[in-house]
Amino acid sequence: MRTQNATAYRFLTPYLLIFAIFWIWPIISSFLISFQATRTVPWRFAPTFNWGRLIGDPAFYNALKNTLLILVIQVPVMISLAIVMAVLLNSPLLKARGLYRFAFFAPVVVGEVAYSAVFRLMFSLDFGIINKLLNSVGIPKVDWFSNVTPAMALIMIAVTWRWAGYNAIIILAGLQSIPEDVYEAATLDRVSRLRQFFHITLPLLKPVIVFCAVLSIIGTMQLFTEPFLITERGGPGGGTETLGLLLYRQGFRSLNFGYASAVAYTMAGLAIAITLVQLWLTRDPK
Amino acid sequence: MAAVTLTNVVKRFGVYEVVHGADIDIADGEFVVFVGPSGCGKSTLLRMIAGLEDISGGKIAIGGKVVNDVEPADRGIAMVFQSYALYPHMTVEQNLSFGLRMNGNPKADTERRVKRAAEILRIDELMQRRPKQLSGGQRQRVAIGRAIVREPQVFLFDEPLSNLDAELRVQMRVEISRLHKELGVTMVYVTHDQTEAMTLADRIVVLKAGNVEQIGAPLDLYDDPANRFVAGFIGSPKMNFLGAKVVETSNSAAIIELVNHGGVKLHKPLREAFPAVGAEVVLGVRPEHFFEAGEGDCDIPVKADVAEHLGSVSYVYANAGPEELIVEREASRQRASGDHFTVSIKAERSLLFDKAGARIR
Ligand SMILES: Nc1ncnc2c1ncn2[C@@H]1O[C@H](COP(=O)(O)OP(=O)(O)OP(=O)(O)O)[C@@H](O)[C@H]1O
Ligand SMILES: [Mg+2]
Repeated sequence: MRTQNATAYRFLTPYLLIFAIFWIWPIISSFLISFQATRTVPWRFAPTFNWGRLIGDPAFYNALKNTLLILVIQVPVMISLAIVMAVLLNSPLLKARGLYRFAFFAPVVVGEVAYSAVFRLMFSLDFGIINKLLNSVGIPKVDWFSNVTPAMALIMIAVTWRWAGYNAIIILAGLQSIPEDVYEAATLDRVSRLRQFFHITLPLLKPVIVFCAVLSIIGTMQLFTEPFLITERGGPGGGTETLGLLLYRQGFRSLNFGYASAVAYTMAGLAIAITLVQLWLTRDPK
Repeated sequence: MAAVTLTNVVKRFGVYEVVHGADIDIADGEFVVFVGPSGCGKSTLLRMIAGLEDISGGKIAIGGKVVNDVEPADRGIAMVFQSYALYPHMTVEQNLSFGLRMNGNPKADTERRVKRAAEILRIDELMQRRPKQLSGGQRQRVAIGRAIVREPQVFLFDEPLSNLDAELRVQMRVEISRLHKELGVTMVYVTHDQTEAMTLADRIVVLKAGNVEQIGAPLDLYDDPANRFVAGFIGSPKMNFLGAKVVETSNSAAIIELVNHGGVKLHKPLREAFPAVGAEVVLGVRPEHFFEAGEGDCDIPVKADVAEHLGSVSYVYANAGPEELIVEREASRQRASGDHFTVSIKAERSLLFDKAGARIR
């Protein structure tokens, strides 16, 4: 047994080494860096330098506000949409199920740059199909990129488009694990389809939905691609800047690693805190 | 309480017809068991009565009312599923009361019904548990409890005991029987286990490949099966079938020769039909109807192959020419492998079938 374990670990060594260098060490290192002033040479230890700045930084609060706003609106909308999509996908009436499953999953594997470019085109002020469609039903053109509210909406729409199908597929797996005869029993109990959904399907899907919500919260806390590529680095005027973007700007534009690390730890801390609150709120009564 | 009548009921799944015109009359308060091999359409028939499957042809009436187009919940039935189909996220109590609560049944009445069901099934102590925290037998009780709470006119059971171990199965069988006596309602019970069928049923419906082979009281099916299939299906161990040929007929009997046993002849009295001389027939003899050498009407020598000793009886699997026979023997007459012995067949304790399997009486 002992030697077996030793052999196994020897085989694991290359992986563990890489894991330690590229995962563990950066996590520890960035924690330490967040307590250093990194704009001086050499860096010096200054525990309150970055964290103190963070607490008083309007740019941080702006990014935090935007991130949480997206989180609070987009995640519930997307999960609800994903549940509806999953239920439709699970319907025996649906033809060509495989095609839909592929279509739902496709956005995840499309390249981020390509997808962002297409969204920019679709939502462009004068040439975009979205404005044309809005116009055709009598709604005036929306300047998606120059006003904060439409720009935030655009980010949420884009993120939802990209991840709703992915979540729907996960929820579909949950749906399919609910045995058919439970619904038959409910039918014999004179429980309507709609009530079956609320009293049987939803409660039984709860673990899956919580799982999807946790994944989405973690993803949205790190939101970067859409505000970077679609609304051009958090435009208009920082109106869609997220924590992820702030981290990027501080770390890789201003090369202020200490401050970027502090932002990174704040993001991680918030993601953990929100997830814990969520798990606590949806815990099984016992 | 209600009678259930199936008239020429047909079920098709797409182009496949799986039930070919079943006619079954179930009297009010009767316990009827559908039995047959896997895939013969037992569940399909039951689910059609429940309304979980559409009826492709024919009529089903419950309590004198045709229910072909009646919603499942309005048919006055309750069903117990093989897999229990309990609501996993609800406590036992919630499982029992769910249907009533969803339909706005007065709270006091719901509580009364749940309490009564819990008492009948002795699950009072489990009310706050969830299905996951119950044993198989307890889950089965809850599933039955959920049916009782509906106060149905007809109970439908689809192989309710097949997920239980042998001992529990016997125990639950007795309880279902007791329940039937207590409630006095019509029960339709599906199983592929002929022991369950024999012990529970007032009448048994034997099905094969979507056809009703015979309907009758358990002992009638045992004593007087309509054909070779029913004869082989009812009774355990299975009836032995011996190849034979008609060598002579009179107006009250046929003399048949057991072709695989050195031409031994048996004088078999007949009442209704007289097969032609030379016709190939089959003689059916139950394991328990082999007698000691000389006690019957013809003797055949056999060689013991394997013997199973169950205590009160033993079953000897014996070779006799190309045929393997199962012979029941009292335990005191245990035999070892390789023993040669002689068994005897009585004409009145044997059944004659034609080549197609129909009974010759
Ligand atoms: N939904 C369906 N679609 C197509 N064929 C089906 C369907 N349900 C059942 N069948 C077919 O109908 C026949 C009868 O099935 P049924 O489930 O009634 O058998 P059963 O007698 O209950 O068997 P078992 O003892 O295995 O439960 C089988 O041949 C089965 O393949
Ligand atoms: Mg079945």
